[in-house]
Amino acid sequence: MKTALSILTAATLATVSAQGALAQETVKIGVLQSYSGMTSLGGQQTDFAIKTFMQKYGETPGGFKLQLIRRDTTGPNPEVAKRLVGEVVTREKVQLLIGPDFTPNTLAAAPILTEAKVPSFVTGAATTGIVGEKSPYSTRTFFATPQLCKPLAPYAVKQGWTKIFVVVADFAPGHECEKFFVEALKEANGTLVGNLRTPLSNPEYSGYIQRIRDAKPDGVFIFMPLGELSIGIVRAINDSGLKASGLKIMGTGDITDEGYIDAVGEAAVGVITSGIYSTQHDSALNKEFVKSYTAVAGEKNRIGWSAVSAWDAMRLTYDALDAQKGQKFDGEKFAAFLRGHKIESPRGPITIDKSNGDIIQNVYIRRAERVNGVLQNIEIETFKDVSFK
Amino acid sequence: MASILTVLFNGVAYGFLLFVMSVGLSVTLGMMNFVNLAQASFSMLGGYILVTAMQSHGLPFLVCLPIVFVLVGAVSVIVERLIFRHFYKTDDLTQVLLTIGLVFMSIAMATYFWGGSYQRFDMPSWIIGQKEIFGLTLETYRIFLVGFGAVMAVALIFGLERTQLGAMVRACVDNRRVAGACGLNTELIFAFTFAIGGGLAGLGGALSANLLGLDPNFPLRYLVYILIVVSVGGMGTITGTLIAALTLGIADVLGKYYFPQFGSFIIYLLTVAFMLWRPHGLLGRGA
Repeated sequence: MKTALSILTAATLATVSAQGALAQETVKIGVLQSYSGMTSLGGQQTDFAIKTFMQKYGETPGGFKLQLIRRDTTGPNPEVAKRLVGEVVTREKVQLLIGPDFTPNTLAAAPILTEAKVPSFVTGAATTGIVGEKSPYSTRTFFATPQLCKPLAPYAVKQGWTKIFVVVADFAPGHECEKFFVEALKEANGTLVGNLRTPLSNPEYSGYIQRIRDAKPDGVFIFMPLGELSIGIVRAINDSGLKASGLKIMGTGDITDEGYIDAVGEAAVGVITSGIYSTQHDSALNKEFVKSYTAVAGEKNRIGWSAVSAWDAMRLTYDALDAQKGQKFDGEKFAAFLRGHKIESPRGPITIDKSNGDIIQNVYIRRAERVNGVLQNIEIETFKDVSFK
Repeated sequence: MASILTVLFNGVAYGFLLFVMSVGLSVTLGMMNFVNLAQASFSMLGGYILVTAMQSHGLPFLVCLPIVFVLVGAVSVIVERLIFRHFYKTDDLTQVLLTIGLVFMSIAMATYFWGGSYQRFDMPSWIIGQKEIFGLTLETYRIFLVGFGAVMAVALIFGLERTQLGAMVRACVDNRRVAGACGLNTELIFAFTFAIGGGLAGLGGALSANLLGLDPNFPLRYLVYILIVVSVGGMGTITGTLIAALTLGIADVLGKYYFPQFGSFIIYLLTVAFMLWRPHGLLGRGA
């Protein structure tokens, strides 16, 4: 009798859970990126990446139905970001968040996400200490500033370029990057022969470039925000004849970002950068990724880091949802699952840190070259599993 | 010594860059008293026409420049006939709001037609690289810019400030009714002046886009510099615009060389000082 009852119970339970699976719980994902203004390329890449991913891996990971809710953060606007996060969390009841982008936005969102226990992916902010430190449900798939700003120092010294001039844009991320690079340079026994902080609105570099010339460095390290400043300084150094006279131009991947490397033009050739992803990365997964992304976005829209970060956020989401198959969605379990999780990304292997959700990944030293006439960042050296600290 | 001279030359070249960018606004704002912030959008259009003509149609750089001047001039007349002429009699604030609205529209339109990313400029080989002059290594493009800017300045000063046409334009602006009563076709003169202002803005965009980078946000990014040059120079004077552009350009480059920690602060400091000293600009005619 007892066994018959338990069989019956088990059968009922099975029916219930089967019905649950049939009913398909919907998981709402908020996508908070910049879709307008100067920074709209990030949002565009995020959308292309998500679309590509869902075409490729289906739209029901773990039996959950996904519903995307897009909002435009309009750039680094913490007030806007805070309002949008509040809106999607309380009114739309999103259970996951991809974004918001930029450090000030991420910081503005963190308290709300912590309180509502909504897991989020940091796909476009690089400042240190803004992931697990601010929200226990936060995971970074972008990069942390030291990952990009440290490796070039030992690399340069190893090449015999020991006298380095540092130029950074005069804003918080610039100062942070300067600090990490100069520290690493000291550790590697290189010499800092000068440094400059240049304004964020700056159409004219020639005065600065004369200072670089006077200091006679072997190489110059540059950190500029994405956009016209990156293009401007590389071109200005090239036009001044300094590059032709043997000065090595180095910097974070921003200065030869695929999004506008064509606009940098000939000046980009030979520029050495540190980066987390290049479309030229040699792996089967990356070739597949580039092919399917290009099929969705078209040849004209080149793949940048926002695309890869969004792609990896989707990979992690699918893995975590698969792990909750047949259960009700649980945000806390979702975040806990990702801690210490390791995946193969188009950029190479990445690991989400166990203690605070930040990212550990390979950093590549790349040289910009023409491949079949198109400017590309070719990976020439790998720093493995670089920490976010 | 060589480095000081090089810095000085670069300052002059930057000054001429500022001049070619802002002279279009100097014509419409200064001579016609119309606050046309959309002038920066005409500059952007000039840049895009240059890119399209060079990259897609393979035309040589020097051939493209007059094409840019004519096309942007034509577009600006169309916009003037359709929109601007209804606002000549309104106050400054209305004109500012109208034209800044047009700037935002132009950003959206540029994104639609040319995409949101930065444009690639393949400049001809004779204009890139450096040249040795009097023992100084100077950038060829900057030499070209100085020469082109100087010719443009002379042509404009004599063409618009010292000729009958210039007198006619000023007469129409100062007192439109009387000018009309004297037999001047004020509508035609306004449209013509507007075309020249627009064409010059386009030319400025075409000459500067290669150095500054061209994307749909171009107008917003450089509007401030254009306004600074025109207001420091004074309304209604091309000579004033030239002097202001050169002064600010040289000061900016020298400042960045000798006091890099002040960044671009020097250009703003100078602007404030000039405006306190001469509220109507260096050579302004006053209200």
